[in-house]
Amino acid sequence: MTMSLFNLQNCLALSLLLVLIGSYGVFRRRSLIMILLSVEVMLNGVNLSLVSFNFFRWGSIDASHYLYMLSIGVAAVEAAVGLSMIIVLFKNYNDISRERVAHLGENA
Amino acid sequence: MPISPLVEITFALSAIVILLTSLFVVLVKNPVRATLLLILSFLPTSLVYILLQASFVGILQILVYAGAIMMLFTFVIMMINPSPKDGESSIGGESAFSGLRGALIGLLVVGFAGVLVLPRVYMAASEVSTASVTKPGFGDLSSIADLLFKDPANNPFTVSFELMSFLILVGIIAALNFSRRKGAAAPIDPAISTRPTEALPLVQRESATDGK
Repeated sequence: MTMSLFNLQNCLALSLLLVLIGSYGVFRRRSLIMILLSVEVMLNGVNLSLVSFNFFRWGSIDASHYLYMLSIGVAAVEAAVGLSMIIVLFKNYNDISRERVAHLGENA
Repeated sequence: MPISPLVEITFALSAIVILLTSLFVVLVKNPVRATLLLILSFLPTSLVYILLQASFVGILQILVYAGAIMMLFTFVIMMINPSPKDGESSIGGESAFSGLRGALIGLLVVGFAGVLVLPRVYMAASEVSTASVTKPGFGDLSSIADLLFKDPANNPFTVSFELMSFLILVGIIAALNFSRRKGAAAPIDPAISTRPTEALPLVQRESATDGK
């Protein structure tokens, strides 16, 4: 039996790498918008792992497609709330860097 | 389960494109470019979903994720136009995560986590028994609709789907609350006052006076 490239291991490795790339962005970037974008990359990896698990290991029901719909609903709400917070911060401080927000409660 | 080489080639190319574009999303300095690259990384992701017999999910990925959510990001970035100084390496020494040292620390942490987790993922995934797709019409729109809305009185999926709308409602209220100004007792603009006689002064139409 030849080794197939399209299997659960490779799909999970792809999603794990996406999550790691996204977490690197969350730790590394300073702008709040870029942190939100990195969170979207992580969510993309998690969705990929859900759907690939369902296809390769659990073919009697397609519940993960529904889980994917829930996940992008949560992503939409997160984006809406986060972006409105970013807009308010930008209107008040003219700056959306991570350091500026970290001092928000003390000397704002 | 024989897999045609076309599927494998498509999967490999999509995986490479997804990884490269996601990496550049994290690394690129301009936020507009990062958002457009993220949209670009969603297109091969939907291709992978279609390979996984999740065609409806692939459609949703493009329509809702790339089309709606990412457009929201693009809109906000264009609106506030943040300065491209983000992630600049000229600030070295200010915090532990700035500059080249911060990049090295981040790469080490993330790479170490990957090295620890990735072999375990491979081993654990190869141990789970394989089950091929048995449901007829797997991933079709009608199949998902059956899963969600068949027998809605005892279907847990229906309840959670409706609860999702409450979550979105909470998100809307939170976003509205953020956009409201401090001090909600601000005087109402006379242009939108509720009394029509005060809000809009009546204008005599010339034709009405001419007719008399």
